[in-house]
Amino acid sequence: MATLGRLDWYDIARATNWTPSYVTEDELYPPELSGADGLRMEAWESYDEPYKQTYSEYVKVQREKDAGAYSVKAALERSNMYANADAGWISVMKAHYGAIARGEYSASTAEARMARFGKAPGMRNMATLGMMDEIRHGQIQLFFPHELCGKDRQFDWAHKAFDTNEWGIIAARHIFDDMFTTRGAAETALMLTFAFETGFTNMQFLGLAADAAEVGDWTFSSLISSIQTDESRHAQIGAPLVTVLIENGRKAEAQQIVDVGIWRAWRLFSVLTGPIMDYYTPLEHRKQSFKEFMQEWIVTQFERSLLDIGLERPWYWDEFMAQIDTQHHGQHLGVWFWRPTVWWNPAAGVSPDERDWLEEKYPGWNASWGKCWDVITDNLLEGRIELTYPETLPVICNMCQLPINTTPGPAWQVRDYAHTHEGRTYHFCSDPCRWCFQVEPARYAGHLSLIDRFLAGMIQPMDLSGGLAYMGLAPGEIGDDAHAYAWVEKVRAARERLAS
Amino acid sequence: MALFPLTSNFEEDFVLQLLPVDTDHTMDEVAAAAAHHSVGRRVADRPGHVMRVRRQGSTEPFPRTMTVIESGLAPMECIEVVWETPTLAAAGA
Repeated sequence: MATLGRLDWYDIARATNWTPSYVTEDELYPPELSGADGLRMEAWESYDEPYKQTYSEYVKVQREKDAGAYSVKAALERSNMYANADAGWISVMKAHYGAIARGEYSASTAEARMARFGKAPGMRNMATLGMMDEIRHGQIQLFFPHELCGKDRQFDWAHKAFDTNEWGIIAARHIFDDMFTTRGAAETALMLTFAFETGFTNMQFLGLAADAAEVGDWTFSSLISSIQTDESRHAQIGAPLVTVLIENGRKAEAQQIVDVGIWRAWRLFSVLTGPIMDYYTPLEHRKQSFKEFMQEWIVTQFERSLLDIGLERPWYWDEFMAQIDTQHHGQHLGVWFWRPTVWWNPAAGVSPDERDWLEEKYPGWNASWGKCWDVITDNLLEGRIELTYPETLPVICNMCQLPINTTPGPAWQVRDYAHTHEGRTYHFCSDPCRWCFQVEPARYAGHLSLIDRFLAGMIQPMDLSGGLAYMGLAPGEIGDDAHAYAWVEKVRAARERLAS
Repeated sequence: MALFPLTSNFEEDFVLQLLPVDTDHTMDEVAAAAAHHSVGRRVADRPGHVMRVRRQGSTEPFPRTMTVIESGLAPMECIEVVWETPTLAAAGA
């Protein structure tokens, strides 16, 4: 029997909306869960998702995707990729899995909320598929690293990181809880699918898959590609939502939510993606610098998306552009210097050739970040390794939960953006992080950063050993230089050549 | 005499750091404590220079013998620790 083509019935089926008669609309869609900003159901009928898919199509395509990713994994299990991979690349995988895998379940919760409480029928359909996507992403990104636990204990953090108080995970949980699990469906869609996924992760996964292929890690590449194709579909939930909000006089509200979302996403990417691209990925495999990647894939394309749907550039655009040039260098230096506090081994990425590359991509790097690395390098060359470790904690931003840092050297620009709210002084890394707090202080005021916890006596003893115990980092798991300081010998050899 | 936390922003370093000091510490002692976490770790030493402590945003350093309690600094307030050229230091600025 012939069946109708999807286009012949999808719109009618999708628009078959509920008309509640036994309960009120607010009982069916409680405002705090729908996040619909007072817009009634009729207003959402015009929502039109650009990517349409039915459940049966979804199941067929997803089955093929899973079969592809798992087949590549099975075929390459006996390859020597892991044994032969550069230590920097192994660290990329560890950082990625620990920071992302369990967060996918938070994203699934977000999609589930949209699937039930979104007022637009099309949004509910797309989110139903998105909810299943994110479960798949959680499962597959836990399964793939599991086989590596036997080779390296740090891979255990792919699963357990989210249950610890490690500082990077506190930062990841803070943003994921804020954007994914504690807002109404409409706000969640704007923050997760539009700001976070359209703006950042969709493109980030494209870049990561390409990098993995470049270093010969086909298993990771196929896994990430498989996930990215889901992202590119469900990331489209948010944009038509903006259209509905603007048409109904809610542009300012949509703009504010998107602005908070973009900034928060950027901060997370500055610590996770920037160091991976510019320091961990082996030099010979780098296609683009992080800055070039951001400018091409994130800034240009996302800026166009923003303007196309009727929003404006966020008010902090100039600051955002400036940070793309600088911020990840500080995050990287901080992660490396406080390396015992992470679950992967940071690659320093500052051998002579790598520094040349950094100077070429970021003119002035040697006169700023390079100054700090000069001191570190000299200490390692002269056997003063104890001076390459910290004896105190960095001060943490009360919004992004990352160390407050910026450009060092003669152009020294570091400062605290403090703000007092109801008698408590909060510390922020930048104007935009402080602004995120100020627009909704009640949401954030109760949270304690790692420093707040330390000062409150929650971390005992009040030293590195107490800090590591609080963060759940055991011997054998704590980070150290990825290449066991082999890069220092390259510096020594280069200096000896110069001297002879 | 009590433990007092400050935020250290050391000239030419890249990061703000937690700086535990004592309320009776002088500004020279505060500067030395801040230097312990920056100089020789990520900031090159400047022999002959004096380190001065000032409030974030201020151009005037605190007197070198002023104590933390006398300074009016709040817990976790951000101080800037800056190098002073030997000439100025000798003039007792």
